Amino acid sequence: MIMSVCETDAIQLRSPDKVMKLSRLGSIHQSRLSFMRILLRRMQNENWRFDRPVFDIDESGVGHAVYSAHGPDRTYSLVAFSHDLPAEKRSDRVIADAWDATFTLFDGIPTFEDIKRLSRSVPLQEAGRICETELSLSRANRSTRLWEHIVAALAEGEQPDLQKIEAVGYLMRTTAVYGSGKFGAADREMIADRPEFQSPFQVEMLSVFLTRAFVRDLVEHMARMKGGRKAVKLDPAIARSMGIGNSTGLGMAPFLLNHPVLFNNWIAAREQAAARVRALPQASKHEIELFRELLERSILLTASWTTDHQVQSEKIEGLKRDLVVLQQQAGTLSETSDHPWNQLNAWAEKELSLEGQECLTSLMLEPYGALVDDLVNTMAADNTPTFRIAGAMTLGDLRGVLERVYGWALEIDWSDQQNRAKAWYVSEEKLEPRLGERFEEPIEEYEQPLAPGRDAAALYHALGHWPEDKNIAQFLLRHPEYRHIVRRVQIVNQAPYAEIRDNTIASDILPIDMLRCKLAFFGAVQFDPRSDRWVRINMYANAPYPEELVSQTDDFWVYPALREGN
Amino acid sequence: MSYSLNEIEAMCKRASRGAGLPWGLCEEAAKGTRWLASFGFSGPDLLVSLLELNDRLPAVDLSPVALQGIWRAPAGRLSPLIAGAAMSDCAIKMELGNIITMLEVDYPLLVVPFASGAALRLGQPVAVEWEGTRMVTNGKELCVQGNSEAILSSHAKRVECSAPAQMLSQSKPIHRAVVGDACWVRLGAFAQRTFAPATEASRLRGAGAGLTGSD
Repeated sequence: MIMSVCETDAIQLRSPDKVMKLSRLGSIHQSRLSFMRILLRRMQNENWRFDRPVFDIDESGVGHAVYSAHGPDRTYSLVAFSHDLPAEKRSDRVIADAWDATFTLFDGIPTFEDIKRLSRSVPLQEAGRICETELSLSRANRSTRLWEHIVAALAEGEQPDLQKIEAVGYLMRTTAVYGSGKFGAADREMIADRPEFQSPFQVEMLSVFLTRAFVRDLVEHMARMKGGRKAVKLDPAIARSMGIGNSTGLGMAPFLLNHPVLFNNWIAAREQAAARVRALPQASKHEIELFRELLERSILLTASWTTDHQVQSEKIEGLKRDLVVLQQQAGTLSETSDHPWNQLNAWAEKELSLEGQECLTSLMLEPYGALVDDLVNTMAADNTPTFRIAGAMTLGDLRGVLERVYGWALEIDWSDQQNRAKAWYVSEEKLEPRLGERFEEPIEEYEQPLAPGRDAAALYHALGHWPEDKNIAQFLLRHPEYRHIVRRVQIVNQAPYAEIRDNTIASDILPIDMLRCKLAFFGAVQFDPRSDRWVRINMYANAPYPEELVSQTDDFWVYPALREGN
Repeated sequence: MSYSLNEIEAMCKRASRGAGLPWGLCEEAAKGTRWLASFGFSGPDLLVSLLELNDRLPAVDLSPVALQGIWRAPAGRLSPLIAGAAMSDCAIKMELGNIITMLEVDYPLLVVPFASGAALRLGQPVAVEWEGTRMVTNGKELCVQGNSEAILSSHAKRVECSAPAQMLSQSKPIHRAVVGDACWVRLGAFAQRTFAPATEASRLRGAGAGLTGSD
């Protein structure tokens, strides 16, 4: 299914040519449509129960634990294996082969035999084999600077140094969370009809949510082993401020290109939500106050966002300035304002940076759960209907679609080496996607089809001397090399937000823009690019722990609470 | 060994590319093999045999000369992937009651997944018949008539595709498939050709992460 984009007044929807630029996609923020928030909202509304049937870990931190989440119809269990990893083996690279902890999300409650089987495969990660009762496979490494400090402090009966915690934000970071059939796990299609997994990436998000609880329990356990009766538990407020880190590299970047319909549905849901809010003729006092409160809390969230990456660092400074002027502008909103959100948005487009504009787009949705939350049901995708090529389409019509949808690509001078300087390829090593220099490395023959702009322009030129009334079936019989891009053009014709409308092989491409976009849809915050090609993030910082979920009264956990006196 | 359908699709896509097929056909070969595997057929075995037979041959030699009349390949043998894709592209012809006839098709079962796409487009079941075998699909389910030897045959002199067809029985797909180790190794050999050899320079430059990231 492709999400419809003409539900409200079409004038209100932002055009794909504007939205689908990498610079803007690389400035997107989490929102109430993000996958972590969708998951926690569901578990909160359905009163999910959580328990920890097994916690069998010795004084050196080696052993296993099981965390179960009980929903209305089914139970899922995180099976965690904790290892004693020598410091020299600790690496965030996907090519690592040992980790501090390894995990799988099990479909149900594992038996003793299941755990025995999993203990032989899960610690091996990619080198092991799991089966259809397992829904995900993941691993995490400690932040050693913080881990040792917290264990030492708690063992002494003291709470850790807040500054040290704020500087990192998490105790462990995952370096890969695999789902959907990887390494023998269940295919998404096996579980996609379960309501709790209808939205994208819910398996992965549940796995990370339970991982965070395990990590907190493990650090307290290690402190108790070390300090004995003197040891104390982590202050719940401190624990809550900490999320789970994640390191993500180039491997994730091609995802958005390889799943065009899914990507369309994410962006279309967000755009539709924003359009619904902008179409509101008035806002109530409560809605305006809630917006202002969450804006203030966003300023706190932004203050905790640090990076050494120069481009991102400048963007954060711009965002900080934006949020202050946005606060002033929001002060003028009142119950009598006409189309207040549309006005605020129009103002932002003139006055704010892309980071600021996209932050506003997300924030604007917050007071309107009842108006926009149903859109989460449109964010998944079934690719079957769009996969087949419509061979009867005439070449005249195909040309028209290319001009309309790929106009941006037809304007690029593809003979200029700068415009095709890069090539995406897959390395022999762990099948890791990479981005290389087309004119400096012997990689072109291994190139992946991840340059739709170039390919669309080539198709347009190849069609040049064909009569308009011939059809695609006839053209492809002679030119099977264009099957891939013809399919894609037909998809984008139906799903306008399916395509990144930018050059993905230009000399100055920043793959972190793609990573940022995807991770924002997950619900990540504090993007910290470590180069132009990989990024660290924080997930579930400020979120309730499983046992705290039932007592939550709202789902704004991602925004830090205002301090006393604010 | 038991594989997820996603694993089968990913492996078959890479293997097809390794054998020199254009990307669009690789996508279709992979989806089609997955589809057959979900109905319990040894799609990966047929695909890898086809890839070995047609390894790096020009697609045009194995394609129908024209879409009018009976389909023949200039070099004699039709590829079931290329002819199947063309049949799906021309699905509308069958709606008008025309039978698409293909001559000298290798591994004819590999044509059937394309009938599933055609059936979804037409909104009615499509039949594929060869030498005593008749397979009918509405896109989501499959009706099988014929003995397994004919179904898995390595070559058919004549394959006919038509619509609308009647489904006398229906089997539904399952989300798991067994692929023999030998077959997986043969597919892997083709897939291997798509991977750029790793060097330390490309490792640092390509992945962009020279740091260990441990702190």
